[in-house]
Amino acid sequence: MDKKRILIVDDDPAILRLLGTNLKARGYEVVTATNGEESLEAVQNDFIDLIILDLMMPKIDGVEVCRRIREWSNIPIIILSARGDEKDKVKCLELGADDYLTKPFGIAELMARIKTAFRHRGDAAAAPAQSSFTCDGLEINFAKRRVTVDGREVTLTPTEYAMLQHLAVNSDKVLTHSMLLQSIWGNEYSSEKEYLRVFVGRLRRKLEPDPKNPRYIQTIPGVGYHLATVR
Amino acid sequence: MKSTESILVIDDDLDFLEIIKRILEKKGYATGTAPSAKAALALLKERFFNVTILDISLPDADGTELLPTILDIQPDIIAIMLTGHSSMQNAIKSLNRGAFAYLEKPLDTSNLLAVIDRGLEKQRLVIENRQLMDELERHNHVTNTLLSVSQAASQSLDLQKILDSALERVAQCTGIEASFVYISQNERLVLKAHHGLSRRMVDAMLKEIGPGSGTIFDIYQQGQAEIIEDLGKTGQSDLGFLRGGGYLSFAGVPLMILGKAIGVLGVTTSFAHYFSANNVELLTGIAREIAIAVRNAQLYEEASSANALRELDAMRTEFLANVSHELRTPLAVIKGSANSLLQPDVIFDDQTRHDFLTSIDRDADTLTHLVDDLLMMSRLDADAMEIKKKPCLLNEVVDSIKDRLDNLTLKHHLVIRIPEGLPPVEIDEGRIGEVLTNLVENAVKFSDDSTTITIEARHRGKEIAVSVADEGVGIPENLHEKIFERFFQGEGRKAGRRKGTGLGLAICRGIVEAHGGKIRVDSGPEKGANFSFTLPVD
Repeated sequence: MDKKRILIVDDDPAILRLLGTNLKARGYEVVTATNGEESLEAVQNDFIDLIILDLMMPKIDGVEVCRRIREWSNIPIIILSARGDEKDKVKCLELGADDYLTKPFGIAELMARIKTAFRHRGDAAAAPAQSSFTCDGLEINFAKRRVTVDGREVTLTPTEYAMLQHLAVNSDKVLTHSMLLQSIWGNEYSSEKEYLRVFVGRLRRKLEPDPKNPRYIQTIPGVGYHLATVR
Repeated sequence: MKSTESILVIDDDLDFLEIIKRILEKKGYATGTAPSAKAALALLKERFFNVTILDISLPDADGTELLPTILDIQPDIIAIMLTGHSSMQNAIKSLNRGAFAYLEKPLDTSNLLAVIDRGLEKQRLVIENRQLMDELERHNHVTNTLLSVSQAASQSLDLQKILDSALERVAQCTGIEASFVYISQNERLVLKAHHGLSRRMVDAMLKEIGPGSGTIFDIYQQGQAEIIEDLGKTGQSDLGFLRGGGYLSFAGVPLMILGKAIGVLGVTTSFAHYFSANNVELLTGIAREIAIAVRNAQLYEEASSANALRELDAMRTEFLANVSHELRTPLAVIKGSANSLLQPDVIFDDQTRHDFLTSIDRDADTLTHLVDDLLMMSRLDADAMEIKKKPCLLNEVVDSIKDRLDNLTLKHHLVIRIPEGLPPVEIDEGRIGEVLTNLVENAVKFSDDSTTITIEARHRGKEIAVSVADEGVGIPENLHEKIFERFFQGEGRKAGRRKGTGLGLAICRGIVEAHGGKIRVDSGPEKGANFSFTLPVD
C-alpha cells in the first residue's frame, strides 16, 4: 500500500517539525506549508490524502483555506488550533472540517484522529453487506460510495458519507448520540455532541429539499437520530 | 348687559342733555353729561364710556375738531355726531375723523337708539376681534418660544450646552431677565445652569439643595409650578438672594418627564406681579422642552458609559482569548515534544530526541517572555514598576540590544542613525532597550519583507527624541491613541498575522511615561508608521 501523504499547515516552524517527525516515524509522507496560499497550492499539486490545518496564519487563514478546499475537494481536514472556543470549533466543522483538535495536544490522540479520518474515507473495510439503499428518492450505492437524491448526484465528504452509511444500514432504528459518535468517530468522541449536530446539519443541507423540514434524517430530541424509510 | 354700558352726551343745550339722559337711562344705559368740550375731556379721562353723543357746535370747541382728542383718550369709543343744521360737509368731515354716525336735530329717539345699538354691536365685534388677535399672537409667541427653546435644547447631547442655550433662548423670547435650572441628582437638586444673574448672585445661590430647603425644592417635590408675585413681601426664604439682587417676581416650574420631576426651572424679573397664569403655561411648555432634552442627554450619557463598559469587557474577553492562544502555542510545542518522547510505539534517534528537547527549551523561553509581559503589565497597573535610572548614552543602549534587533530584522533593512555627541540621559537602560526592541518587533510585524526600518535619535531642547519608522501599511489616524491602550489589537495589518497579547505598546507607553517622556505615532494608511518617544535631559 502506498504511503499516505499528509499536508501540515502551520506558521510555527516548531509545530511543523514536531508533527513532521512524528508522522514520518509512523509511516506517513509529510508535506508542509506555512501559510494558506502555500497550502492551497499543495492540495492542488501534491496528491494530498489528509490535511492538518492551523487556523491563525498569515495571508489566508485556516477557516478560509477550509472553505476554499471544500468547494472542490472532500479531502479529510483536521483542524489543529490554539483557539479552543466552542464557536470556532462549530464554525470549522460547519465549513466542512472533519475534526478539530485543540493545542496543546497529545501525539497519540492526534494519531487516533488521523486514523479515524482515513477510516471514513473507506480505506478500512467498512462497506456494508448490502450493495445499495433506497428510500423516497434517496439512493446510496455502497460499492461505489455514490449518493443521489431524485437522480441528482450529491458529493459528500468522507465523514458525511460515513455517517449517512451508518444511518442507512441502521435505517428505522433509533441511533443514540453516543452510539453514533462511537461508531463514526470512535470511543473517545462520545461526548462531542456538537459534532453530530454539525454533521447532521451538513448532511441535511446536501440531501434534503427542505433542510428545516427533513424527510430522511429525523431528530429524536434528547436521544439521537434515525433515518426513516416509512413516515 | 346694558347697565354696564355707558354713554357720554356732550351738548351745550342743558335741556337737551336732560331729555337724552332720561331716555338713555330708561333704556338701562349709564350716562354722563358734559356741557362743554373741557368738561367732556375731564370726564373721559376719569371714566370709561362705550358711546359718546357729541354736538358739533360747542361753546368752547368744534365737535369735529374735538373728536380726534376724544378718540385719543378712549380709542374704542363709538362717537355719534349731532347737529342742529344739516351740513353734508360737516357730516363727511366727522365720519372721516372717526365718527360712527351722524344725526340731525331734532332727534328721532328711536333712530338714535337704533344707531347706539349698532354702534355697540360694532364695538363688541372690534373688541372681540382684538382679543382674538391678542390670543392668536400670544399663542404664536408661545409656539415660537417653545420651538426656539426646543431647537436650542435639541442641538446637543451635552447637558451643559443644552441648558445654557435653552436659558439664553428663554431670555431672548420672553424678556425674562434672569433664569436658572436645578437638576436632580440622588434626590437632591444641583444648580446646573443660570442666565442673566450677576456673579455675586450666583455665588450667593445654593449649589445643592435638599428636602426642606424651601420653594425650589418644594416645586420639585410636589411637581407643581409656583409664582411669587412680590419677593419683597415674603419672609426669609431660599429665594432671599433674588430680593438681594433687586428681583421682585419669581416663577418656578418643575421639569417633568413621564409625570416625574427631574429638576426645576426658575425665572425672575425686577418687576413685582410680573408673572400670570399665561406665563406659567408658557414656562411649563419651556420646562417640558428642556426636560425632554435633559433626559435625552442623560440617556445618551448612560448609553455611552454602558457602551464603554461593554467595549472594555469585550477587550478583556478578547485579551484573555489572545493570552490563551499565545500560551497554548508554545505549550503545544512543549507538550507535543515531551509527549513524542514518551510514546511507546516509536523510538526516536538521538538527533531527533535532541531536537525535541531543544524545542521544549526554546518554547519554554517564549512562554517565560509572555509571562514576563503579563507581569510587567500588572506592575504597570499597580504603579509598581521598578525603574533603575542611571546616566546612559543612547548609542550604548542600542548597541546592547543590537544582536536582538539584527535577529528580529533578518528579512528587513535595519538603519540606525544616532548622531555622535548626544548628551547622556537618566534612564533605566534595560527598560528603554525593551521599548526599542518592542517597537522594532512591531515594525517587523506590520511591514513587508525587504522594506527599511529606521531607528533615529535627535537632541531637541530639553529632550532626546527617539523614533522607529517603518514602511508598512501604516495606522489610520483614528487609532493613533487607541493603539497605546492595553489589550488593543491592530487589525488587518499583514493579513492573517498572528496577534500578540496587545500589551507591547501599552508597556512601551508605561515605561516611557515612567521616565517622564511621551510616546506617539505619526502615520497614515499606506504611509508607514513612525513611533517616537522622548526622554528628558537635564
